[in-house]
Amino acid sequence: MSVIMSEEIEEIPLASSETSYNDAEKNDIFNREFMPHINSMYNFAFRLTMDEDDANDLVQDTYLKAFRFISSFERGTNAKAWLFRILKNSFINDYRKRSKEPSKVDYQEVETTYNSEEAAEVDHTTDLRVETVQDMIGDEVATALNSLPVDFRTVIILCDIEGFTYEEMAKILDIPIGTVRSRLHRARNLLKDKLKVYASSMGYNTDEY
Amino acid sequence: MVLDMHASASTGENKKYQKEYCEHHTECLKKIQAVLDGEASEAEKEHFRENMDDCLHCIKMYHLEKCVKEALQAKVDKRLCPDNLIATIKSKLNIIS
Repeated sequence: MSVIMSEEIEEIPLASSETSYNDAEKNDIFNREFMPHINSMYNFAFRLTMDEDDANDLVQDTYLKAFRFISSFERGTNAKAWLFRILKNSFINDYRKRSKEPSKVDYQEVETTYNSEEAAEVDHTTDLRVETVQDMIGDEVATALNSLPVDFRTVIILCDIEGFTYEEMAKILDIPIGTVRSRLHRARNLLKDKLKVYASSMGYNTDEY
Repeated sequence: MVLDMHASASTGENKKYQKEYCEHHTECLKKIQAVLDGEASEAEKEHFRENMDDCLHCIKMYHLEKCVKEALQAKVDKRLCPDNLIATIKSKLNIIS
């Protein structure tokens, strides 16, 4: 797996102090603290890569790295957030370049648009009905989610699907809590736009509430 | 804490004028999202409660945000890790279950 290069994100969260575990302790930590999160990790990997083979590779790489650097993990702390951060960084360093994602240029364009004052004043509520969203099936919601640029998709997955707190998300993504909040806000506006476009194309009534 | 605003949005008692449009909707929407995420400060919760009494626009935003969040939680398929991947990882690391 990758050698950490200077321009790459450091993949393993730094610990204030390292702990030396014996083989039995490593085994125990792996089974009791890391493995319970493997389904969430796989789901996150799949939603990031949108490809089963890439998700398999990403989860495997993440767990191998987690075990290799297990001394950086403090037993009894938030293993799920620790693992998610490694997975997210591995994705950025190793998979994002070759994934089927919209390019980074597209992401920056979207973020610029949603950062602008003009866009901030757009009302995202008047043309999507609660009933429309309630009538949608899971695949339709997932399609809208998958169509978001990965950085926006990521915050929605972490918050709404995995239930992380803003503080945990800030640590996983290595960004300030204020950025978590603003990115979530923009991501949700974009998601509602996608849902609205999709609903219109499917003939749902989106004219009013 | 998620506050249930259905009551204030639907009861006819003490009915008073409700704004159809919110001139602060972007800031209000951020507060609504923080409330639904269980991350709102006391000041944000208080602002939220007050707005829910007189701003129809904020009430509608609240219901839509809640609905979208619930759809993401309940409707989007959660992929499970394949058993053979778990076995492969444990085998590579010589992990004993």
